[in-house]
Amino acid sequence: MKTKMNYKLIVICTLVMGISSLMMAQDTPPLTDPEIASVAVVANQIDIDYGKVAIKRSKNKEVTDFANRMIEDHSAVIKQAVALVTKLGVTPKDNAVSQSLMTQSKETLKKLNSVSKMDFDKTYIDNEVAYHEAVIGAVKNVLIPQAQNSELKDLLEAVLPALEAHLGHAKMAQTKISK
Amino acid sequence: MQTHKSLVSKYLLTLAVMICFLVILMGFKNPEDTYKPTRHTVTIFKMKFNPENLVVNKGDTVVWINKDFYQHDVTELTSKKWTSKPLNQGESWSKVITEDIKYYCDLHKVMKGTITIAK
Repeated sequence: MKTKMNYKLIVICTLVMGISSLMMAQDTPPLTDPEIASVAVVANQIDIDYGKVAIKRSKNKEVTDFANRMIEDHSAVIKQAVALVTKLGVTPKDNAVSQSLMTQSKETLKKLNSVSKMDFDKTYIDNEVAYHEAVIGAVKNVLIPQAQNSELKDLLEAVLPALEAHLGHAKMAQTKISK
Repeated sequence: MQTHKSLVSKYLLTLAVMICFLVILMGFKNPEDTYKPTRHTVTIFKMKFNPENLVVNKGDTVVWINKDFYQHDVTELTSKKWTSKPLNQGESWSKVITEDIKYYCDLHKVMKGTITIAK
């Protein structure tokens, strides 16, 4: 019980740190388009990595179906982003936000790999709900307003409904798992 | 002995009566017999079926076309009694509508739509 609570606290702390770093970007010099492209690719790759752990560790069809969908959809976004930066001749540029996301994802991956099998499904889905909420906020409030290139802005706007659909889907799975 | 002229008149009269009869018959034809099924399009874009709710006539065809770069499908909502295969961007799938249906995307379960037969 105590371990469960600790995991919950770690998830919440990690996500709060993640959201804060994305929101702090509003106070720091605006991200350039190559930096935004990097954040977009990293944020999508992180959820693909979480999904791969879920497929490996979960036996719950609801969870593995959701994880497979995350892998498919976020891979499709990365494919679009790569096609766009190639077309624009832009190279995604590593930056403080993408580095911070990577650092936090390493912690989350460590936790997803070490949590007991019994607690895995709930830990994974709770993290998916919180991660999508954080990413939706960042895309809406940081990335879209700061993107200069109209095609990059269009891509970010096209991604938003999918993130919202994923959040709805994750909440449905969360309800079923907690029953 | 009938003259050639009166024979022609008889034929013409018979023909006229037959034409009138056919015209009257067509007038009384069931409108369903003459209804030509229509094709309707539902566009899948930005994680929505558009239109989400569609009213059609019985026998019409609905075509779903995926314009998103994510895969989608079209699946009967209550018991998954039919489903399209996953549709890639630009792919479409059609179904002849014979009853009211509720459907969703089984890949993105929050996406829903309905087709209703006009009364």
